[in-house]
Amino acid sequence: MILGGIAGPLALVVLFVLVPAAVAGAVRPLLRAVLVLTLPIAISVFLVNLLFFPGGTTVLFRIGPVTATAEGLAFAVEVLARILAIAGGISLFYLTTKPGDLTIDLERRGVSPRIAFVANSSVQTVPAMLERAQAITGAQRARGLDTEGSVAARVRGIVPIVGPVILGSIGEVEQRTMALEARGFGRSGRRTLLWAPPDTALERIARWLLVAGVVALVVARVARILP
Amino acid sequence: MLTLESLSYRHAGAARASLREIDLVLGDGEVLGVAGANEAGKTTLCFVLSGLAPRSIGGTLGGRLLVDGVDASTLRMHEMTEHVGIGFDNPSTQISGVARTVYEEIAFGPANLGLPRDEVLARTEASLDALGIGHLADREPARLSGGQQQLVAVASILAMRPRHIVLDEPTAQLDPAGTDLVGDAIARLAGQGVSILVVEHKTDLLARVATRMIVMETGTIALEGPTEQVLGDPRLPGLGVAEPSAVRLQRAFETAGLDPSRIPELVR
Amino acid sequence: MSAIELEGLVHVYDSGVRALDGVDLTIRPGERVALIGQNGSGKTTLVRHLDGLLRPTEGRVLVGGVDASTRTVAQLAREVGLVFQDPDRQIFASSVRAEVEFGPRNLGLRGEALRQAVSDALAETGLDAEAETNPYDLAASRRKLLALASVVAMQTPVLVLDEPTTGQDLAGIRRVERIVARVADAGRTVIAVSHDMRFVAENVDRVVVMRLGSVILDGTPAEVFAEPAWELLRSTYVEPPLAARVGARLGLGSTPTDERLVEAMAVRSA
Repeated sequence: MILGGIAGPLALVVLFVLVPAAVAGAVRPLLRAVLVLTLPIAISVFLVNLLFFPGGTTVLFRIGPVTATAEGLAFAVEVLARILAIAGGISLFYLTTKPGDLTIDLERRGVSPRIAFVANSSVQTVPAMLERAQAITGAQRARGLDTEGSVAARVRGIVPIVGPVILGSIGEVEQRTMALEARGFGRSGRRTLLWAPPDTALERIARWLLVAGVVALVVARVARILP
Repeated sequence: MLTLESLSYRHAGAARASLREIDLVLGDGEVLGVAGANEAGKTTLCFVLSGLAPRSIGGTLGGRLLVDGVDASTLRMHEMTEHVGIGFDNPSTQISGVARTVYEEIAFGPANLGLPRDEVLARTEASLDALGIGHLADREPARLSGGQQQLVAVASILAMRPRHIVLDEPTAQLDPAGTDLVGDAIARLAGQGVSILVVEHKTDLLARVATRMIVMETGTIALEGPTEQVLGDPRLPGLGVAEPSAVRLQRAFETAGLDPSRIPELVR
Repeated sequence: MSAIELEGLVHVYDSGVRALDGVDLTIRPGERVALIGQNGSGKTTLVRHLDGLLRPTEGRVLVGGVDASTRTVAQLAREVGLVFQDPDRQIFASSVRAEVEFGPRNLGLRGEALRQAVSDALAETGLDAEAETNPYDLAASRRKLLALASVVAMQTPVLVLDEPTTGQDLAGIRRVERIVARVADAGRTVIAVSHDMRFVAENVDRVVVMRLGSVILDGTPAEVFAEPAWELLRSTYVEPPLAARVGARLGLGSTPTDERLVEAMAVRSA
């Protein structure tokens, strides 16, 4: 009974997450990513359902006022399996897709170059802002700003740091915008794409099969062919 | 040829005009040096020549800018970029941030213009050659030194095949090695027929690469002429411009009553 | 007692780059020192150790005779004022005056002493007329002077300037030169990182040349810019000032500045 509900999600995970991950040689990073993504939720879901599942009758053990039930365990495991399937799928996508490839392909299929640009450059923005924040913190500390003292002192230290980070980033945006405009960006009309990820017949067929598969699964579920 | 006819410009929201009735010609294939105190209008001049003012930053333009004989007010920004390229003093903000290699970075401009793929590749190769940075083609732009980034920026501008390039203090943030790289690049480009206007505080650099010079003062042109003549003008310090080393030495000799005539040969 | 002492200073960044490879340096109070060398030679890494922003991987940093590792950055800021290259990575206040007040206020100055320190710094950098202006309404070169003023107002025993003359016109350079002279005259120490060899030759008593994390030359401008040192200088992309080159060609010995060259020529013709 405990294992009954997880057969479905487990099959999905193995077939559509672990196997492709193995093919891509990304099993360990995948497991690490999934662990990071799901551990907090997994722990709370598991505990809540194990100990507080309504309608649980088959008692496994007691800890003080709470009771662990077999039904709860079964449900918890099932939910966990689904979470793993989802997290696994998302992680697999991110681990095996280069951001540049994705945006180029989207652009090839008609997405505006500006959107593609924003998606691509956001990857660079966070490290740039972090670096800027560090440099600014250094400059303010060099003027006596105390970042190693009391909490109150540190809170007061936020303004001299946040201000230049934001203003400076905005100022840089203006410079970057002009540099981009000076290179023709923002002109209406398609850009020339130097290359695009190859789209083999095999990949196209696989895509259609996957879509068909999802539709079939949903139909089967609704029609109660599958549990 | 870029021609300014009685050109005035006031920044959006500014009380006074930054440029006041300027007449200037940037001839084909020449390198024009621009010096002057800070806030004399040098950067504004660059913005106007490149079309960024008023198209990108707003403001009010008076007079005319003629780009190869055409009134620029009829040209949109992306049309301007095919005539006039502009480079700025900060190497890192000119990197697009979306190119994984220097090659892609340089190709970014022509690709934006929607040119055929072969054309884009041809221009990229030509730019790499012109700047002598073929060996950097596969490197990540963000990891290069300031001087190298500046070269990539100029190469990227060049790939737009403008007839004229405006450079606003390209060596400001570079060390002497980087400055030399950019100076060599300017000389090489000029040799290939590109007209270049370069704003710099480093008069030694201008002495080396500029054929003609202007010195600006509060929005007008105070001095104009062949480089050697302008850089030897005694009014330079009063205009906020540091004289080139050779000229300063000459003045020191003259003041001490020594004969300065041997200096030019000693400077190599 | 020395103002600054570096003993076997090594610094290795997290990335593995060995930016300082065992530097020994002693700087006495009142000295005007220039730190030169190409980008990547370790100059910036070195000066960041002087106020504790970077800590040694190996070796010791002594500021005013005290081991810097026993002090926080805020404490070291009382001894060493460091002016960064990019003013926009520092300026946060809504007026020039408030910006300049920040540093000395953190050091505990109040009332009349604070007011005086601020107005002196504003006068020296020529910003007094713009005291109530928003810093971002100033041109970039004047913001650089503002950053300088905000550290000068802290009146620290040691003043460190990182590329003080880049982007400055003649008037700006003159102001920096006058500040260096005034601070040194008051018996305080000035350390300037610079690529401008003319500025270096004319404004400091001592030149420290760095390359790949080590000091390769250390002496007066006359010693460092003399012909025997040129090969070493060029190995770190430093070109001696014109006066030095001309003096060498005329066989006049070491003449790092225009003034020295003229003197030497006058002596010869006498």
